[in-house]
Parts: sequence; structure tokens; C-alpha cells
Amino acid sequence: MSLPADILPLEVIDKTIDQPVWIILQSNREFTGKLVGFDDFVNVIIEDAKEWIVNEEHSELVMEHNGRMLLSGNNIVMLVPGGKKDV
Amino acid sequence: MSEIKQDKQPKLQPQGQQQQKKKFESPKREAILDLAKYKDCQVRVKLMGGRLVVGVLKGYDQLMNLVLDETIEYMKDTNDEVSKDKTRSLGFTVIRGNILASISPMEGSEIIYMQTSD
Repeated sequence: MSLPADILPLEVIDKTIDQPVWIILQSNREFTGKLVGFDDFVNVIIEDAKEWIVNEEHSELVMEHNGRMLLSGNNIVMLVPGGKKDV
Repeated sequence: MSEIKQDKQPKLQPQGQQQQKKKFESPKREAILDLAKYKDCQVRVKLMGGRLVVGVLKGYDQLMNLVLDETIEYMKDTNDEVSKDKTRSLGFTVIRGNILASISPMEGSEIIYMQTSD
């Protein structure tokens, strides 16, 4: 048996609750906002989400959602604590 | 006699239940790949949807969710091909285990050929 890794992914996500997060989907769509909560499937609730479509060169803001938004974990590929950096 | 039987029966039942439980207990599963070896090493991770990221493995769990640091993503170009030069830095990231397609260490591997848009 190997020792458990020091940093557990879900722990990292848990620590970003109430902080900005950047969520990357399988498609070229991304969301940024404040992480409100998540579950075991990493379905995610974010607040005041901004929706982006990303090309090679730049990412384009396509929508701003007020209030909370449930984002299905099905299509989530990556979560980046701290939010989107290049904007 | 009948009293003894009555005494025994309740004792037997829990035993039977325990045996049944043991039967259904699956063999202990160890991870097929021990990621501890790659900890703090650069790894290349391919994801479903065709994304390719490289980063330093900082953590993981049983479901192969990963924690990467200094993550770099190789972006797809208009032809939907991953190019060598178009990258962006993501920093500290969590990658979902259920969309992970492949993971391999960077050390000891090199890019022989990578498709370009031409």
C-alpha cells in the first residue's frame, strides 16, 4: 500500500470554496466565478459566473450569469483555484 | 432440546450474515498505477476531448483526480490539432479523474513528431 498523497484533489477544491475559481470544460467553454460548493461528482455551484469561449489566441466573454449556477460535473475537465489569470 | 435450538438459532443467523457479507466483499483493489512514483515529477496528461497538459504532479486520489502545479496546456489550433508552440499557463490545477485519458512521465520521453497546422 502506498501512502496517500499529501494533496488530495477534492481537498484542494474544498479549500477554494468562497474563492474565485476557473472551470474548464471538455469543449472550448470555460466558466469563472466564485465557488459556492460541489459534490462527489464535482458538480459545482458557482456564483456570478462568467462564461467564456476560448480560441487559440484569446478567450471571448459570451455571457455573465447573475446569482448562482449549477454546473454539471459531467463536462468539467479542470478546475483552477484563484480564477482566470490571463484576463 | 427445543430450548437449546432456540438459543442457537439467533447465534447462527448473524454468523450466516457475516459469511454472506464476506462473500460480497470484493478483493482489495490497489491502483493499477502507483502515482507515488511520479509525485513532484513532470507528467504529461492527456484528457478526453483532446486536451494535453503538462505539469508537476502534486497529488492524486483513488479516482485518479490529479493535482498539478505549474500546469501548461497545449492549445488546439483551428484544425483541432494540438500544436507545440501554442501554450498557456494554468498554474495550480485540479484535473478530474473521470476524463483522464492517459498519464505519463515527462522524464525519459521526448517529442519525436508533433503535428502542425501546415
